[in-house]
Amino acid sequence: MLVRRLRFPKRLSTCSTASDIHTQHYDVIVVGGGHAGTEAVAAASRVGAKTLLITQKIQTIGALSCNPSLGGVGKGHLVKEIDALDGVMGQAGDWAGIHFSILNRSKGPAVWGPRTQLDRQRYKDFIQSELLSTHNVTILEGSVQDLLMTTADPEKPGRHKVYGIRLAHGGGEIHSRSVVLTTGTFLSGTLFIGQNTSPGGRMADPPSCAGLSHTLKEVLGLKVGRLRTGTPPRIIKDTIDFSLTRIHLPDPSPTPFSFMNTHTHCKPEEQLPCYLTYTTPGVERVVKESNQHNSHIQQDTKGPRYCPSIESKVLRFPGRQHQVWLEPEGLTSDLMYPQGLSMTMPPEKQICLIKEIPGLQRAKISTPGYGVQYDFVCPTQLFPWLQVKSTQGLFLAGQINGTTGYEEAAAQGLWAGVNAGRTSLSKPPVSLSRTQSYIGVLIDDLIGRGVTEPYRMFTSRAEFRTALRPDNADLRLTLRGFEEFGCVSEQRYNEALRVQVSLNDALSALKSIHLSASRWKYKLGDVNISETKSSILNGVDMLQYKEVSFQMLASAFPELSGLYLEFSERLKAEAIYSPHCEKQRKEIERIQAEESLYLPEDIDYLTLPVSLSQEVREILDSIRPSTLGAAARLSGITPAAIVHLFNYVHRNKHRNRSKTVGVS
Amino acid sequence: MHFISGWRRSAAVITAIRSLSVKRLLCSVGSEDDTIFALSSGQGRCGVAVVRVSGPASAHAVRSLTRGFPAARVASLRSITHPQTRELLDRGLVLWFPGPGSFTGEDSAEFHIHGGPAVISGVLQALGSLPGLRPAEAGEFTRRAFCAGKLDLTEVEGLGDLIHAETEAQRRQALRQMAGDLGRIYQDWRVRLKRCLAHVEAFIDFSEDELIEDGILNDVDTAVRQLQTDMENHLSDQRRGERLRSGVQVVIAGSTNAGKSSLLNMLTQRPAAIVSATAGTTRDVVEVPLDIGGYPVLLSDTAGLRDTTDSVEQEGVRRARQRVEQADLSLVVVDLTQLPSEPQLVPVFLSEHLKNILEPSSHRQQCILILNKSDLSSAEHNRSIQASLACSADVPDACFLSCHTRDGLEDLLTLVQNRLKTLCGDPLIGSPTLTQNRHRTLLQKSVEALHQYHQYRDVDLVLAAEGLRLGLSSLGRITGRVGPEEILDTIFKEFCIGK
Repeated sequence: MLVRRLRFPKRLSTCSTASDIHTQHYDVIVVGGGHAGTEAVAAASRVGAKTLLITQKIQTIGALSCNPSLGGVGKGHLVKEIDALDGVMGQAGDWAGIHFSILNRSKGPAVWGPRTQLDRQRYKDFIQSELLSTHNVTILEGSVQDLLMTTADPEKPGRHKVYGIRLAHGGGEIHSRSVVLTTGTFLSGTLFIGQNTSPGGRMADPPSCAGLSHTLKEVLGLKVGRLRTGTPPRIIKDTIDFSLTRIHLPDPSPTPFSFMNTHTHCKPEEQLPCYLTYTTPGVERVVKESNQHNSHIQQDTKGPRYCPSIESKVLRFPGRQHQVWLEPEGLTSDLMYPQGLSMTMPPEKQICLIKEIPGLQRAKISTPGYGVQYDFVCPTQLFPWLQVKSTQGLFLAGQINGTTGYEEAAAQGLWAGVNAGRTSLSKPPVSLSRTQSYIGVLIDDLIGRGVTEPYRMFTSRAEFRTALRPDNADLRLTLRGFEEFGCVSEQRYNEALRVQVSLNDALSALKSIHLSASRWKYKLGDVNISETKSSILNGVDMLQYKEVSFQMLASAFPELSGLYLEFSERLKAEAIYSPHCEKQRKEIERIQAEESLYLPEDIDYLTLPVSLSQEVREILDSIRPSTLGAAARLSGITPAAIVHLFNYVHRNKHRNRSKTVGVS
Repeated sequence: MHFISGWRRSAAVITAIRSLSVKRLLCSVGSEDDTIFALSSGQGRCGVAVVRVSGPASAHAVRSLTRGFPAARVASLRSITHPQTRELLDRGLVLWFPGPGSFTGEDSAEFHIHGGPAVISGVLQALGSLPGLRPAEAGEFTRRAFCAGKLDLTEVEGLGDLIHAETEAQRRQALRQMAGDLGRIYQDWRVRLKRCLAHVEAFIDFSEDELIEDGILNDVDTAVRQLQTDMENHLSDQRRGERLRSGVQVVIAGSTNAGKSSLLNMLTQRPAAIVSATAGTTRDVVEVPLDIGGYPVLLSDTAGLRDTTDSVEQEGVRRARQRVEQADLSLVVVDLTQLPSEPQLVPVFLSEHLKNILEPSSHRQQCILILNKSDLSSAEHNRSIQASLACSADVPDACFLSCHTRDGLEDLLTLVQNRLKTLCGDPLIGSPTLTQNRHRTLLQKSVEALHQYHQYRDVDLVLAAEGLRLGLSSLGRITGRVGPEEILDTIFKEFCIGK
């Protein structure tokens, strides 16, 4: 139940100025206060680390730089997992959401996409109050000039070691055992609008220091690439003629993201609608006219294929109608966000363009859209716990690793925070398998394949989609989060245990009901059970039928009612997918076995005395997979190469054991 | 459901997995519940072929193909019949080895049958038609033996090489089959199925936010049904399929004027190499079926490899390269007089030359280097080249030859025969029926998975999509894996996905 109030401290006592902070020592320093940074800070503090957040502006902590929405298909899965690991994002969404809906309702619970529109101010307020009131967390407004480096610990892999940061403008040094960089689009960021460019990572914020970028590239020798993204103009609400658009209502009963909430902060009747309109041939004309004045679109820096600017959409798919969603920016905001109209053309052309769209003919723009190009660090240089392989104590999360999206950033931030915290407390790092979570899929894809365009989560990326559902994220992650990772509170853990026991009891109860097909028909009425089925069916079998709900079973069998009704949707999902999950169990076990075998960091693949082709050696040398499982998924690696590697690792096991870390 | 409690027990499971990781890794490449079968004797002039079966359904397999269950570990003469058609396939010996006292530790059986390709193919097809049975993957019998503790780790050391050899053999074999009409058919199915999956995945991931037409799933339904029909028709038509070329495929390759054709002529005229028939000349690649030392060989002579602007010759060179890639064994002919005059420079020169001639994927052990025109250089010079080659690890087995004087021919034939002996000892080499059988089973699985799509289409789209994923992964084991990235590529090519 969402009963709490925001806990704004009367005085920002945890916010320090540089002068009284730089003599102190922290376990973890997090640079950047976006979605990755805030989750990292919160997670590090949850595992018990004394944590410092350094951000350019305290005001922008938790700011939604782009779209005012959270979740969706794939992304919603990530939010549920972040929440299951006791992260902040899900609860913030429940607090700030103003239009909740579950996408894909008609497509099977494995791909339901919980989503909400957000009130920007409420979201920021929640995140800030959460961090400011978190024990062990200090927040400092400032700019980081450089990392402090020292010689590496010879017992561990890596050539360098980070021991803190140096503040810009003579702010001095702050020492820590771990540093998490979540610089978003600020690493050598350039803003584009029309033909104008200026340094920066977000409009209205100062650019970050060049020093960090230089150190990553030149001192640490990290391979970096360049990506681009963009954001649409914001439109003044009063100038929109909504009668020419189609209204889109939220779910009448909002479903919260968090496993700990039964209600959202926003009352059902307070929710705001979204509106749908479409592009016209006029839009295409304006794009073509303005093309020569649009330097962002002319550069060949990689942008995302799935969230392209209106310019790219029109140029790649001419003659088509494209959707434009008009989304509220907040309960009291006078702005609307036109989802689908990300653009970088000159501001005067942006006005021309939106006037071509039904409902927006008289619309006024409050701030124009713009594009950003920024550096990212090729994520193949990271361990599965998001530490830079070559540098002890340095962790990266969010857009700096080549991803896009709040949820993707937060998921990495959480995981980097957990591990930065753990290593600073001399605990072994932990990793998540792609067989068990979307966070695992995300990280495994990043470090195993690298990125060529901003990476976004889709459910099609998950091989074990029927097992990795939004409904069971708590059972997949909360228990381990408490028992193994140490990032989950006891209260949440106990709740997850309660849920687990109840679900198991309910399933046992269902299985204990055995009836013949004709008896089931008699009990449930017009359920279409095939006549040929002569065998005995149990309650779980029946729940697999589309038209059978747990409520129906509960009303027919009094022993099911009462206790388990709160889990009826989860029981249904479990019943539908369990046979398939069982079929995939062996494959999952194989992958987990391979992932539990760590490849020593110091292997020289080019000279390794085992029978490997030159091609295989070069692939292994360039990607340097952390586990045998990661190696097996690289393209170009043969089954024979895996067996050879396995033999090699196994032979040297006694030697490597000291370097192996306890992960699953 | 155990799934829920499964997560709870994860810590215990992890520990268990770790201790078992060695076994699991090697054991669960295919599903352990499957029963596998394979021809485990070599081909060539063998009177008796041995087909091995291992896994829980072995007893069922024996019962389905024979009458009168044999006593354990006693060779029993039985009629072997096809379980569905009741057609008599052969009379042979059947052995039953109940687990765990068998090679693999599982229930297993052996069928000792006559060595003709029709008989072997018939028995393999009969086994493949039984539920729960599938052709073994590369190295799978050995893997299972290891899992059962029948081998120790040192014996498994060789497993990597074995799997490599077998997968390579399968790959080459598949390449040969895929080169023809069959390949085009499989590729077409792959593209169609990939597109179906991409459309369903796009509908799952994007339809709520994007403009994806409602009719898209109906189109997929139709496309999947058509695909099923095509695959089923193909499966029932299989026996009248393409003519399969059998024998160890040996190719003669090298630069122009190295003496390739002289070698072919010499080999075909020797009494040890009996020309059994003269195949048609395929414009550029000359193919001759031969019998060398009792081993069936399909020897082909290819166009000389060189850069050329002549379009006909370019096509010849392309085909030559293709043939080299498909070959089990390459005889690379080099003109001795074209080698560097300094003997110590020869190994480097030759290894560079080989890289150029053999595709990068080809392996050293599949190649014999023939230094031709030995009569044109002094015996002393040849000896110092030989000495230099002996010290070099980068150059494969080499022999000196003069096609003119026939010096060195006996050595060459001995070398070739030894290679053939090894190659033919491997039951996978040169036996197209096995590959065909494997393809058949995979296609069958793919069709079954497509049924799953329809079965779940109205129940749960995610499970329906799993049917397509499964179908594509079975098909992908013939045509090459299709990963999620390729599906996403297809989606973004066809749909404008952009919030």
